[in-house]
Amino acid sequence: MTRVKPKNEYALTAIVFLAPTVLLLLVFVVYPILESVRLSFTRWTGLGQSQVYVGWSNWLRLLQDMVFWKALGNNLILALLSILIQLPIALALALMLDKGGRAMRFLKLAYFIPLLVSSVAIGFLFKYIYDPNFGLLNAVLNGVGLNNLAKSWLGDPSLALYAVLAVICWQFIPFHMLIFQAALASMPAELHDAALIDGATENQFFWRITLPLLQGTIRTAVVLSLIGSLRYFDLIYVLTGGGPSGSTELMATYMYKQAFSSFNFGYGSTVAVALILVVLLISGVVLSLTKRFQTEV
Amino acid sequence: MNHKLLAGLGILGLVAGASVLAQQKKEIVFWHIQSSEPGLSLVKKQVDRYMAANPDVNVQVVPIQNDAYKTKIKVAMGAGQGPCVFATWGGGPLFEYVKANQIIDLTSLLNENNYKNRFLSASFSAITFNNKIYGVPVEGVSISIFYYNKQMFAKLGLQEPATIAQLVSTANTLKKNGIVPFSLANKTKWTGSMYFMYLVDRMGGARTFINAATRANGGSFQNPVFIRAGKMLQDWVKAGYFNEGFNGLDYDSGQSRGLLYAGKAAMELMGNWSTSIMRSENPAFATNVGIFPFPAMRAGGPAGNVVGTVGDNYYHIASNCKHQKESFEMIKFLIDDQAVTERGAAGRIPPVKSFKPTDPDLKNIVELVNNAPGTQLWYDQYLAPELGEAHKDTTQALMGLTMTPEQAAKIMEDTAKRLAGK
Repeated sequence: MTRVKPKNEYALTAIVFLAPTVLLLLVFVVYPILESVRLSFTRWTGLGQSQVYVGWSNWLRLLQDMVFWKALGNNLILALLSILIQLPIALALALMLDKGGRAMRFLKLAYFIPLLVSSVAIGFLFKYIYDPNFGLLNAVLNGVGLNNLAKSWLGDPSLALYAVLAVICWQFIPFHMLIFQAALASMPAELHDAALIDGATENQFFWRITLPLLQGTIRTAVVLSLIGSLRYFDLIYVLTGGGPSGSTELMATYMYKQAFSSFNFGYGSTVAVALILVVLLISGVVLSLTKRFQTEV
Repeated sequence: MNHKLLAGLGILGLVAGASVLAQQKKEIVFWHIQSSEPGLSLVKKQVDRYMAANPDVNVQVVPIQNDAYKTKIKVAMGAGQGPCVFATWGGGPLFEYVKANQIIDLTSLLNENNYKNRFLSASFSAITFNNKIYGVPVEGVSISIFYYNKQMFAKLGLQEPATIAQLVSTANTLKKNGIVPFSLANKTKWTGSMYFMYLVDRMGGARTFINAATRANGGSFQNPVFIRAGKMLQDWVKAGYFNEGFNGLDYDSGQSRGLLYAGKAAMELMGNWSTSIMRSENPAFATNVGIFPFPAMRAGGPAGNVVGTVGDNYYHIASNCKHQKESFEMIKFLIDDQAVTERGAAGRIPPVKSFKPTDPDLKNIVELVNNAPGTQLWYDQYLAPELGEAHKDTTQALMGLTMTPEQAAKIMEDTAKRLAGK
């Protein structure tokens, strides 16, 4: 006769082993978010016990704050262009590496490198590449006679955001490439063989079979890229600090400035909570839209 | 059985952790930002001497890099987990600590045995609020001056300009010879602000800014002086006196000094800390560098203030520190006679009266400070933090020609009014 173990014995074990994770999440994720929401209704310098409840006034200020809207706009430009530029290139690279087999092993490794470098290091690297006087980029442009194209990339408010965007793409294309590569590798080879036997061309195979099968992966990549772009901070902080003249200001850099440089912890929290709301709203809309238009395969 | 054992182990793992050791010594935690040499050992040596003389105290010295420090100290103090002794730059942000009762009033400790008289009197201006002194000036004198390439000036027959008109004609001559007159890296923002502060001082005297900042005597940031200063600065930008793309360059990464070193630019308005940076980065170039103060408005007119701080960094004692008396004694070691000698030898200017520099460059700077009618603290340090940020943002936009001086003045005045109303 086999003895059935009582259920609650498992439950106890489960609780004990889940506890550290749940505790960490509560302390470092849930609590700070709730605390930010509370702080968004206060005026507080971030020092001492001088928190004053001010009702909705921070939120009213946010609605009229041109810098915040500009930052939100920059975030949206960043998100849209990131998706439009990064994903197709990443997919093309993944396809190439997938088809190339062993010959591509070196490139597989090389393309992966930007992902391994910390954002701060990348920031410093590109600070020097973009330097209008000594930088690599302008030196190359001048060298091949394209002097008119040599610009002060980070110093010109109309260019700075795009200059930063280029670096962000360079940094994150490898990440999306990796996701696509994994998806392609898990696709059974028989599909390809069967399609070819049925008379499909490579082109048809890609558009009719590979791409529909990648739907789920593409949706994941879009959402990751979107959320990443909306919360983006580190590279901007190092490269431009949100300048010049606010042209590369993002919601996260603006939040940092308000909370830590201007000693407006209350208003900074309002910006932070608004950032969370924007991310939740947009990613929710995107997720439900992409689900609705998903085709059965 | 197995599961119970595992569960038990898990619980043990959760519980096991902090075993608190009995502390016999008095602990003082000390945060500062002298994270590179010679500052690092200048602090450490004095603290070691203090601990040798006071074996019952243990000082835990934590050097933190400048930019990281600004965030770290704020979070720590806000959470009530701050160090006993810490550094600030004085001015508006320090005043926030005072208002939040985070640091203690040192007036009576400084008055004991006339200890206060040891220091240059100007060194207390940035740490005195309502006639109470909240810090000890230690690290040095930081004032803004023009650095210039002596060889280049000699080759083109240029003199150190004594008036703004001469500065402009010097810039024109340099420009004609294909050299950028002023090297500037203004991603950092406080760098470009130096030009603005000096122009305001030279055009309107010290009171214009002080009145606007303290909202006294009808002072306003929309005073025509601020607008005229902004206009002149924009004229200089339009005339190409500054290097291309300055708003995207980072001072902390050396992008403005690179232009000087390469001979592409002739001058840089910068804090006198530049001397020691140039000496370590490019010793050959450093011997070829001269300094002059920001010129006066007109010949024979008043020389005007120097912009900068005397005594910055300052050290403060937190209100929740358990060993305040010991902390103060420890700070005294940082700037006692032996420390002053060591600091002087390392190229620093300790803010004490007894210090007589032998180095000619240091001598020049000390004379400049002593001869000036007064010291104007950096705007971004003098002003309340939010207004200081507004000043830096508007000045960067002004120099980027994306904002008119009138718009900049209005933003400053509106922010000042809003903060005053709080």
